[in-house]
Amino acid sequence: MRRAPHESLVAAVALGAVAVVAVSSACAKRASAGRPSNDLLIVGYDREPDTLNRFSTHILEDIPSCIVEGLTTTDEQMRVVPLLASEVPTIENGGVRLRDDGGMDVVWKLRPGVQWHDGTPFTSADVRFTVDAINSPDYNPESTDGFDRISSVDTPDALTAVVHYKEIYAPYDIQFIRGALPKHILQGRDIDHAQDYNRNPLGTGPYHVADWKSGEYILLERTAHYWRGDGYPRIRRLLFKFIPNTNTRINQLKNGEVHLVALAPWDKYREIAAIPSIVVARTRGNAYEHVTLNERQFPPFADVRVRRALISALDRERYTQTILDGLAPVADGPVQPVSWAYTDRIARHSFDPGKARALLDEAGWKPGADGIRVHDGKRLAFTLITQAGYAIRESMAQAIERQLRDVGVDVTVELHDGTALSAIWFEGRFDAMLHWWQMPSDPELTTFFASDRTPPAGRNINYFHDDALTRLLYASDRTVDRPQRKALLERAQAIIADAVPEIPLYSVTRLDAVPAALANFKGNPTNTGIFWNVHEWDIK
Amino acid sequence: MSVLARFVARRCLQALPLLLVVSMLVFLLIHAAPGGPLAIYLANPNVRPADIERLRRALGLDRPLWQQYWTWLWAFAHGDWGYSFSDGRPVAVRIVERLPATLELVAVSLTCALALTMPAGILAAVRRGGWFDRAVAIASGAGVSLPAFWFGLLLQMIFAVGLGWLPSSGRTTPGGGDVVDHVQHLLLPTTVLAIVLASGWSRYLRGSMLETLAQPFIVSVRARGLSASRVVLRHALRNALGPLIALVTVDAALLVSGAVVTESVFAWPGLGSLFTEALARRDYTVLMALLMLSAAAVVAFNVVADFAHALVDPRVPVS
Repeated sequence: MRRAPHESLVAAVALGAVAVVAVSSACAKRASAGRPSNDLLIVGYDREPDTLNRFSTHILEDIPSCIVEGLTTTDEQMRVVPLLASEVPTIENGGVRLRDDGGMDVVWKLRPGVQWHDGTPFTSADVRFTVDAINSPDYNPESTDGFDRISSVDTPDALTAVVHYKEIYAPYDIQFIRGALPKHILQGRDIDHAQDYNRNPLGTGPYHVADWKSGEYILLERTAHYWRGDGYPRIRRLLFKFIPNTNTRINQLKNGEVHLVALAPWDKYREIAAIPSIVVARTRGNAYEHVTLNERQFPPFADVRVRRALISALDRERYTQTILDGLAPVADGPVQPVSWAYTDRIARHSFDPGKARALLDEAGWKPGADGIRVHDGKRLAFTLITQAGYAIRESMAQAIERQLRDVGVDVTVELHDGTALSAIWFEGRFDAMLHWWQMPSDPELTTFFASDRTPPAGRNINYFHDDALTRLLYASDRTVDRPQRKALLERAQAIIADAVPEIPLYSVTRLDAVPAALANFKGNPTNTGIFWNVHEWDIK
Repeated sequence: MSVLARFVARRCLQALPLLLVVSMLVFLLIHAAPGGPLAIYLANPNVRPADIERLRRALGLDRPLWQQYWTWLWAFAHGDWGYSFSDGRPVAVRIVERLPATLELVAVSLTCALALTMPAGILAAVRRGGWFDRAVAIASGAGVSLPAFWFGLLLQMIFAVGLGWLPSSGRTTPGGGDVVDHVQHLLLPTTVLAIVLASGWSRYLRGSMLETLAQPFIVSVRARGLSASRVVLRHALRNALGPLIALVTVDAALLVSGAVVTESVFAWPGLGSLFTEALARRDYTVLMALLMLSAAAVVAFNVVADFAHALVDPRVPVS
């Protein structure tokens, strides 16, 4: 009997359906992803690192920090603590000597008994090689900051490196926070293209790379004979999965395919906090969200009365409670409470729209027919740029636009992708910008506020000029004594708070979704990342 | 030289000026986009102006644009695709390591999409106005309207988070990777791509079939007493496949250069993900290679389409 064509087709479709059901049944038997354990911890990341060479990138330091250790690191309170050094050199312990010629010498005593993963001893020769390599024209590290102020390195013995600086360099204690390059592996080689090292660096840390599948994951395994002792690290394998889509990352966290999501997005906080096996760790960050006011591009910002009016018109406390869900406190300046240089003895600008209107009146900006203020025929109207696809920022920009309109200021919000935004601000082609700075762990403010550090010489993209502030900041950079330096920086913070070169909004809190069973997780407010103490992490 | 070989050679020669023009346009466009490979470093306050200038020189970005283009073109024409600006590895290596994942996803998705399209399009045409036709119309309308990322996330929520049957993303379980594991990882992204593709294709096939079934020659073959299945599958379908072949090959060419959205949602480590990463970093060398690959794929698939069309419809000459 001959079948009609549609009968054959229906049969084919039915056969296909049966196949799908069969595969689905197999899937139903799929064991759920394992719980975190001391055998395996799976970490979800939004991007893949370009390289694991810590000197070639600042992006995603979490993974390389498990492999390559610095002479020092920063802890959860942003204190500089020794790692491969036996102590942090200071003037008090004789590790720092100020020379009469204006330079300084720093004596690094290395921890004895430390070996590279291949068993070669870690020595002062590696420290010297690192400085030479970074200052060499043959290698292109991301930053030579600080290294270019080193004139030479002496190595009187295998465990002592004396670093001679041409001038006083206050952040000397974090000079080698990214570790050292292994001389016996890289000497005489093109480090930029030494892919064997850049993708599988030799370190002294608790882990080494076991596998890197591009676009998928990096698997780290515990190294044998870690210098802290055979009990460390406690977790045998760390798997870093790259999942660019935020929703997918959170879905993986929910069904246990990943156990830890670093830098969890704020707008997903409640969703993540509702996962029973997860705890959202909140770490006070060393970054602050603010509105940069570009005085060069929009001259009305050069008037301090206008800047004070703008900050008084914004209810920043309300933003943190609503848009930020109470996750971050209001910031009053560029130095955050986590920094040793922080002071709260500065001017605070509370929400006061009446004061904002009065200040604008005083500056000559009178309400026009449409409610927007006008001065010499020009409207008080500017564009606020910020990053597209960043829900919190988009909401914040809208709130700012609304509240400034209430006092007669017209704001137009423009969204750009992150890469485009970097180019725009570097070229100074914007009126105002909503963004954050991740501040260095050393409280160096010069690059952000000194008069001569406008782009391309620095990041003073407010184009703010204050000679007294500039002198204070440079003096601070040349001061190693901490109490003296703190006093200088406190005076600088007071000037900044009073002059309002930018509008600080909130102090960024870092959110990390970690397994509830994970013990000894401490977090970290700096770019060093949360894995600085991974050796003591323990899944209970 | 056979007709076939001459045809392929001629099409390749014709494609060369086209690819050259494409390369110029693409080069200009990606350099015109705001930001650049160095933008990523600006966020780091420890990267100083001297560092930026040094990196700019190292990447050759300090030279005039025409020089940069000429250097790239000369090297590319000699098989040297350069080094990735972001990780310093050869571009060819980066592409080759991602290509299998994309080919796998595309091959399976296209096969599934065709498997859905053929019965749906043919039956909807044969049973025009019936319940099946209406059901296909509703389903394909929904399939075409659904944003791929939303559909993908919906499937994740149901099958990965809700039921726990399937992994939510990735190509294999790290360290695992048997056949079943592979199929499990393929199911969701394939379903999204296949349904989205089949939704559009089935409407084209239906329309094309209806047009063909109304042709006088169909009445003629029916009058000769041929079976219904022979009339539909042998005579109507062969004539109706032309537009579908053109559509499938264009879609296939675009997918080979990366199913950007689907790969992103499902963290599929293919060329689409690589393109997204390269675009975010303004990794010019990788972007240029991927876009040229995409242009070449369009040319190649057009040749394939011509062959396929000639194969199913003898009236269409290969030349």
